[in-house]
Amino acid sequence: MAPLELLLELTLMPLVAFLVGMMMVLMMRRIAARIQRRVGPPLFQPLYDIVKLHSKQTQVSHGLIHDIGIVMAMGGYIAAETLLPVPGMNGIAEKGGIITLLYLMMIPSLGLALGVGQCANPNGSIGIARALTAMLAYDIPLVIVIFGVAYAAGTTNLVDIIAQQQAGGFATWGAVQMPLLAVAGLIAMHASLGKQPFEIYIAPAEIATGPMVEMSGKHLGGLFVMQCFQLYTISVLYVSLFLGGGSTWFDFLLKSFLVLAIPASIAYLFPRYRTEDLLRLMWKWPVMLGLIGVAFVL
Amino acid sequence: MSSINQIPVIEAKKGNPLARVFDELVRFCRSRSLFILHYCTGCGAIELPPAMTSRFDMERLGIQPMVSPRQADILLITGYVSIKTLKRVILTYEQMGSPKYVIGICSCTVNGGMYWQSYATAKKLDEYMPVDLYIAGCMPRPEAVIAGLQQLMDSIHAGKANSWEDYYRNYDYYLGNQQKLFGDNWQTPTDVIAEAKHYNLLSKGTLGVHTRLLEQHQQPLEALEMRLGHNLKEPTE
Ligand code: SF4
Repeated sequence: MAPLELLLELTLMPLVAFLVGMMMVLMMRRIAARIQRRVGPPLFQPLYDIVKLHSKQTQVSHGLIHDIGIVMAMGGYIAAETLLPVPGMNGIAEKGGIITLLYLMMIPSLGLALGVGQCANPNGSIGIARALTAMLAYDIPLVIVIFGVAYAAGTTNLVDIIAQQQAGGFATWGAVQMPLLAVAGLIAMHASLGKQPFEIYIAPAEIATGPMVEMSGKHLGGLFVMQCFQLYTISVLYVSLFLGGGSTWFDFLLKSFLVLAIPASIAYLFPRYRTEDLLRLMWKWPVMLGLIGVAFVL
Repeated sequence: MSSINQIPVIEAKKGNPLARVFDELVRFCRSRSLFILHYCTGCGAIELPPAMTSRFDMERLGIQPMVSPRQADILLITGYVSIKTLKRVILTYEQMGSPKYVIGICSCTVNGGMYWQSYATAKKLDEYMPVDLYIAGCMPRPEAVIAGLQQLMDSIHAGKANSWEDYYRNYDYYLGNQQKLFGDNWQTPTDVIAEAKHYNLLSKGTLGVHTRLLEQHQQPLEALEMRLGHNLKEPTE
């Protein structure tokens, strides 16, 4: 591939991800509003929030690591976008593979931990401890699920996995071939979104939004941007693994929004788990489903 | 024309047109995305849940509750402020990032309301911090709260909600009133004078008798020592 073309793709993919991610944030907030019988935010609300936060006059920084942490949190996801194939653009997905992608998806949590550490706010530290515990909880089923899919496809190359699923139409989709893995993946995905009932590390009523407690201005704005990328990354990864990716932009976007709508509509119906309950739940059901699914694949 | 604000002033437009477009965008976004920190001091707080939830739904105006002063734009004071609470309100206010707005809900914040004769409440909120908007009533209904917030949105969009600058410009006045209530050695962790210099808002009213008094009593802030089990006492049995 021509280097110029590659460069174009590497810039376009995160940009597209950001735009789609903002629409996903809007969708989640609208779904929450509908479930609570409200009207919900206007169309450009995520954009207003981000612009406003970046244009605050006071920008409190607690030091260099605080700034770098936010950049890492965003950068991890931006790098992950270039490994996620979208219709017409593969970026460096063929060279990266899912394993690199998994590593990149952990960077934001670590970056956040660094940044929050320098704020020295006890609520933030508790939040980060919980966020890393939650990561431990959902990463194990996620890794099992990804192992199963990669084993069944015989490759860790996301482009090949999508191509294999698209080859035979609906019947070769990962969700049809490996339903148990798909269900386990859905639960792990929901937990990694950090929404209720798994939002132990945000918990506004308890630890005052945990990692975000000392963030203001563009630092909080950066986290809002990160959230857009996070929603996009997780739902697109699920679509690529189980729903055959997208052959056109239309069905690609349709699938990723639909996938995200499932956790979004479950989320606002339930209260929050405690940390140890979350661990127990995640290590029991999705892991069990995932292992049985892997056994079928082997 | 009952007030001076209604007399139209034609401002000379100058400067980079692109910058003006940008400023307009920023002002618009600021008016459309407001994070509120509701410091529920008094009984008026009970009208906020209906204003936020399904009956009146503030979120459709872009107004969301937030939980820490660093994240918030609006400080909502909902009702009477006792002297003890006022200290916390001031600490919270000084931690918020500018541009910040203060809304006093309830008559008690305007003039003491039915607690006028109480020895324990601060009567007028705007003696201690600049207030952008009062919503009077005992207590105001959610419609009134939302109408008030819309008024605030309009004035933010017009670029007129600048009362936070007033705190820096007239710090001496506000500090004086605070000292009258809390005693001469009242001090907050925020260095307001340095912030005023940072924002270029240092003016005649910033420094004065009261800030000099503050300097006399001011003790440098020290970082808290991080130690586990610092003041945990063993049970004496
Ligand atoms: S104005 Fe009335 S409702 Fe509001 S705080 Fe005072 S007494 Fe309570």
